[in-house]
Amino acid sequence: MKPAPFDYLAPTTAEEVVSALVELGDTAKVLAGGQSLVPMLALRLAAFDHLVDIGRVAELRGVERRDGALWVGAGTAQATIERSAEVASAVPLLARATPLIGHFQIRNRGTIGGSLVHADPAAEYPAVALALDAGLEVLGPDGRRTVPATEFFIGLWSTAVGEQELLTGVTFPLWDGRCGFAVREFARRHGDFAVAGAAVALELDGDDRVRRCRIALFGLGSTPERATAAEAAVTGAVVGEVDLEEVGRLAMSSLDSVPSDLHGSSAYRRRVGGSMVARALRAAGEEARGR
Amino acid sequence: MTSLEATAARYVGARVPRVEDPRLLTGHGTFVDDVTRPGMLHACFVRSPFARARLGRIDATVALDLPGVRAVFAAADLNPGVHEQWYTLIGKDVPDTPRPPLAEGEARFVGDPVALVVATDRYVAEDAADLVDVDYEPLPPVVDYTTALAATELVHEAYPGNLAGALGAPMSEDLAAVFGGAAHVTSATIHQQAYAPVPMETRGMVAEWSGDELTVWSATQAPHEVRMFLARLLGIAEHQVRVIMRDTGGAFGQKVLPLREDMCIALAAMRLPAALKWIEDRRENLLAAGMSRHEHGEAQMAFDGDGRILAAHLDHVQDVGAYPTPWPVGTAMAVGLLFPGPYRVPAAGYRTTSLFSNTSGRTAYRGPWQFESVAREVLLDIAARRMGIDPVDLRRRNLLRHDELPHTNPNGMPYSDMTPIETFEQALGMLDHEAFRREQADARATGRYLGMGTCSYAEPTTSAMAFQGTEGATVRIEPSGKVNVYVAGGSTGNSLETAVVQLTADALGVDIADVRTVQGDTAVTPFGAGTGGSRSGSMLAGAVEESTTVLRERIVTIAAHQLEAAPEDIELADSSARVRGTPAVSVPLAEIADIAYFQPHRLPEGVPPGLEVSARYRARSPLIWANATHLCTCEVDPVTGAVTVLRYIVSEDCGPMINPNVVEGQIAGGSVQGIGGVLYEHLAYDEDGNPLTTTFMDYLLPTATEVPVIEYGHIETPSPGPGGYKGVGEGGAIGAPPAVINAVADALSPLGVEITRLPLTPAAVVALIEGAR
Amino acid sequence: MTVVREIDVEVRVNGAAYRCGVPPRLTLADFLRERCGLTGTHLGCEHGVCGACTVLLDGEAVRSCLVFAVQADGAEVTTVEGMAGPGDELSPVQAAFRDHHGLQCGFCTPGFVVSVTAFLRDHPDPTDEEIRQGLSGNLCRCTGYQGIIAAVRAAAGQHARRGREEPTAAHP
Repeated sequence: MKPAPFDYLAPTTAEEVVSALVELGDTAKVLAGGQSLVPMLALRLAAFDHLVDIGRVAELRGVERRDGALWVGAGTAQATIERSAEVASAVPLLARATPLIGHFQIRNRGTIGGSLVHADPAAEYPAVALALDAGLEVLGPDGRRTVPATEFFIGLWSTAVGEQELLTGVTFPLWDGRCGFAVREFARRHGDFAVAGAAVALELDGDDRVRRCRIALFGLGSTPERATAAEAAVTGAVVGEVDLEEVGRLAMSSLDSVPSDLHGSSAYRRRVGGSMVARALRAAGEEARGR
Repeated sequence: MTSLEATAARYVGARVPRVEDPRLLTGHGTFVDDVTRPGMLHACFVRSPFARARLGRIDATVALDLPGVRAVFAAADLNPGVHEQWYTLIGKDVPDTPRPPLAEGEARFVGDPVALVVATDRYVAEDAADLVDVDYEPLPPVVDYTTALAATELVHEAYPGNLAGALGAPMSEDLAAVFGGAAHVTSATIHQQAYAPVPMETRGMVAEWSGDELTVWSATQAPHEVRMFLARLLGIAEHQVRVIMRDTGGAFGQKVLPLREDMCIALAAMRLPAALKWIEDRRENLLAAGMSRHEHGEAQMAFDGDGRILAAHLDHVQDVGAYPTPWPVGTAMAVGLLFPGPYRVPAAGYRTTSLFSNTSGRTAYRGPWQFESVAREVLLDIAARRMGIDPVDLRRRNLLRHDELPHTNPNGMPYSDMTPIETFEQALGMLDHEAFRREQADARATGRYLGMGTCSYAEPTTSAMAFQGTEGATVRIEPSGKVNVYVAGGSTGNSLETAVVQLTADALGVDIADVRTVQGDTAVTPFGAGTGGSRSGSMLAGAVEESTTVLRERIVTIAAHQLEAAPEDIELADSSARVRGTPAVSVPLAEIADIAYFQPHRLPEGVPPGLEVSARYRARSPLIWANATHLCTCEVDPVTGAVTVLRYIVSEDCGPMINPNVVEGQIAGGSVQGIGGVLYEHLAYDEDGNPLTTTFMDYLLPTATEVPVIEYGHIETPSPGPGGYKGVGEGGAIGAPPAVINAVADALSPLGVEITRLPLTPAAVVALIEGAR
Repeated sequence: MTVVREIDVEVRVNGAAYRCGVPPRLTLADFLRERCGLTGTHLGCEHGVCGACTVLLDGEAVRSCLVFAVQADGAEVTTVEGMAGPGDELSPVQAAFRDHHGLQCGFCTPGFVVSVTAFLRDHPDPTDEEIRQGLSGNLCRCTGYQGIIAAVRAAAGQHARRGREEPTAAHP
C-alpha cells in the first residue's frame, strides 16, 4: 500500500502556493496535515503529479482575535486548537468539537483548513463552521475573498475553493451573552467519523427565550446541513419548554440525501440524528441558562 | 523416583515477567518485514477486481518496461512448479479442495491473485502491478452461500451444487421421536456474519534460494509445517528448506498453514537471483487472507417439563469461500460434535454442510468450531424465555458437575477433568446475580435496558492427532552452567519463550535469568507442530519434562559420585546439586558441566558425556478438556442501538497455570476478539461480491474505549497431561460471542426481541427493537 | 508514469543525523525502516488507523505512515528505539508494559510505547477515561487492552483504584 509517484514542492508563502497551483493546474494537490489525503494516496484512490505542501507556510498558522472575531489560520493543527485557551473562551463550539476528531496523533498533524477543504460530510469542523457562520478566507490568483460557510460546502468532498485557490484562514464570529454550545455525535467507536451528529449554538434573552439558535448537522447528507426549520421552531421559545425530540424530528424532516451504508440506513441515521439534535440542544440550553 | 524431582517450583505458577518483552519493547524484535537480504527483491500481487471472471490474456509488457521491474509471473509460469500440495496437519488423504498458487482460467473472488510482480522495491512493484493488463471476462458470481446449493453457477466446476462436503445426518427418526414427546421444543436458526483473525502484523515471507537450500523467513505459527509443506511443494528435500521466524505479530489461526501467496513466493524465489520479500498490506489482508465464522445453523433442543434437556440437533451450514484452508469439511465436524456442550444431553445429532462462494476462502480462526457455542447458548436463552424461566436456572438444571465426569456426550466426545457448573456458579457469584437482577429491574422501571448473558463451553485442547501428538525439546546446559532450551515454538504472542524458560528453570533448579530459549528456526530446533489447537502449554511442558528428566538423572548421578552421596539424597537448587538437608554439601552445576564436557574420565561408570539432551514427548491422552463460563452485562441505548458492555467476567478452568499473566492475557485477547465479532467486526460483501471492508476505517476492531475491564475467576482442575496443564489459547474467542449476544437479548427481552442474526451493530439493534413492536 | 526527482533531506532520528536523497513518496515510516535501519517502527495498516507506526515528530506523536520523509526534512524524530534509557534500561512506560503484561506478540507495542510516552507527558495524572481515549488511536489484537490500560495507569503513578476499573481475580 504505497502511493503512486509524485513531485513535491514546499513553498513558504501563501502567494507562492497559489503561483504553484496556477502553474500546475489540476495535476497538483495541496498537502496540509495529510491525515485524509495520504491514506487516499496510499490506497491509490487518488493520485497527483504534484503535491504542494503548505506545512512550511508560517502565515497560515495561528489563532488571534481580529475585528471582534476569532481568526484561525488554515494551517493550524487541530491539536493547537484543542490546547488554545483563546479558542476555548472565544469559540467554545470549535473547542468542544475538536477532541471528537480522530485520535490525538491525528490531531497533531491534521489542520482546520485541511478538514474544511476535505469537506467530509461526516466531519465535525465543517458543521461547526456552518453553525457559527464562519467566514472562509480564500487566496487566489485574483486576490483574497471571503466565502461565507453557507456557500462554502457545495457537494460531497467539494467546496468553493477553486483549483488555483488556497484556504488561508477561518474567521469565527464571537457569540456573547447567555450562550450555550454543544456537539453531540454518534460514532461506531471513539474517534470514528460520525454516523450522525449535530452542532448547536444557542443564545438566550433574559427571560430564557431563545434569541438565536443554530443547528448544523453532519453525517446526514452529502454536505453539512443547517436545520433551519428546527432553528426557527426553537427561536423565540422558552428554552426549558421546547419539545426536544420534536425539534430533532423537525431537523431531520428537511433532509433529502441522508446516506445509507454498512453502518446504518438512511432511516437509522435520521433516528440517531434527531436524537443527537435533541441531546445537543438540551446540553446547550442548560449551559445558556446557567449563565 | 522422588530423588529426580526438582525442588519446589519457584517460577511455574508465578506471574513471571516475560523474557520476550525487552526486545519487543525497545523495537528490537525481528518480524519478517525486518529481514533484509543482499539484493532483495519485492513482490506485489495483481489481484482480481471481479468476484468471478474468466481470465484471458495477461499482458505484462508495459509493466516489465518500468525501471526496477524484474519479473511478472502468471499461473502458467508458477503453477506447473507445484510437485505436491498438502498440509502435514491435515494429511494427504483427505478429499481436499482446490488451491492453485495463482488463479488459473478463472478468478474466483475479488482479491484472487492473478499475477505476481517482482521489482526492486515495493513502491515500484505496486506501480507495475497497476500496469499489468489482464483480460477479464466477468461471470455471474455465487455470492450468497445460503443459496449456493441451488445456484446454477458454480464456483468450482468439479463441485456440483457448490458443495465442498457434508457430514452427519438430518434428524433421525429416533431423535425426532424424542422431540415429538417432549414437553418443550425450541428451535431457532442462528446466523453469524463473516469476520476474521486480523493479526496486527499481516502475512509475509522472505524466500531465498541458494541453488541448494531455500531459506524462508515467515510470519507463521508453525515453522516446521512451512518447511515440510514447501519442500513437498517444490519437490526438494526437507533438509534443503530452512524456515526462520523469530517474532510473528499475532496469528490467531491465520498463519497456521501456508496459503496460496506463500506458495507463489516460494515458487518465484526458485527462479530469481536474490531473495524475494512479500509483505501483505492491510487491504490484501482484509481482501484475501481469508474469512471465518460465516455460517448459520438450525439449532433445536427438546426439554422435559422441568426444563431438563432431552435431545439436541444442529443443522449447520458454513460458507467456505472460494479457496478454503484447511479442508473445511473436517473442521466443521467439530461444530456438530461439540454442540451438546458441557450439559447433560441424552441424545443428539448434527449435520454440517460446507458450501463454496465467490468470496475470500475460509481460514482457521481461534476456536474454529466456535459456532457450536453460539448456536447452543443463544438457543438456550431463547428456550428459557419461551419457557418463562431465567436462563440462569435453565443452565443450573442442565450443566454437568465435575463429579459426573468422565462423561461421554451423545456424539462421542469423552469429557473429563472439567468444571462446568462450578465455573458457572463462580461467575454468577463474582457478578452477584441476584443483585444484578434487582438492578436490572430498577433500571427497567426508569426506561433503561440492562442485560446479562452467559456462555458455558467445553473445549477440546491439545489434540494427540498425528502431527500434533508429539513435541520435542533439546535442553543444553552450557559448560558455564547456563541453560539453553530449544523448542520449535516461536513468538506469536503466546509467551512460549517465557513458559519454557519457567518450566526449565524449575526442572533444573536454576535461576530463571540463567535460562534462555532458542525457537523458531527449523535448522536448530527440534521438530514440532507449532501453535494451534491450544496445544503449546501442555505439549511444551511435556517436552521440557522429558528432556530435563534425563538431564536431571545424569546431573544427580554425577553429583552423587562427586559428593559420595546416594543419588536419592541429591536435590537440584540454586544452580547446584546438593545433599538434601545438608545444603552446604553441594557441587555447582558449572562444575558438573565441566566434568561432563571436559573431564569425561571423572564421570561415573556408564554416564554419557555432556549435558545436552533431546527428548520427545508423546501426548498421554487423545484430548485435554478445558472449560469456562463467560458472563457479560451490558446496557443498550434504545435510541441509537449502542451496546455498552458493563462487566465482563470469565471463570475458566485451564488447570494449574504456568503463568497467570499469560493465561489471563490469552483469555482477555480472545474475549475481546469475541466481543468485537458480535458488536463491531464484519467482513462484508455487497450483492455483486465486492468486499466492503478492506480498510481499518471500515473493518472495525475494538479499541481501548470499547472494551470492558475483564474479571477473572480461576478453577484449577488438573488434566491428565504434564503438570495438569490444559490449553487456554482459544477459549476466549469461543466463550465471548454468546455471552455478549445473550446479554443484549436479555436487555431487550421486555420488548419481545429475539436475536438470531449477527452482528449486533447499533443499526441492527434498532432494527430488532423496531421489528419487535 | 511520472519520473520524479529525489529530494535531499536531513532528519535527526534519536539524536543522530541522517542525510540522504529520497523520492517524495517515501513515507517517514519507510524512511525510518529502510534508510535508517530502525525497524522498530512497524507498519500495521499504512493508512493511519492502527497506530503501530507512531513516532515523535518534533516531540508530537504522529503516524509515520501519514507523513512523507520530505515533510520531516529538518525535523527531530524519536522512535521506539530512542525511548529506553542509557544501558538499554527500559523507560518507565516500557517497564510498566512489561510489569503489567501490556504486550503479547509485540507488533503493535512500539506504537503504544511512543503514544503513551507522549500522552503521559501531556496528561501526567489521567483519569481512566482519559487513558482509554488516549489509547484509542492504537490497535492491539492480542491483549484486549487489559494489560495496556493497567500499564498506563501504573506509569502515570496513579494509585490503584478499587472497583470497576480494577481487574479482579478470584480463586475458589
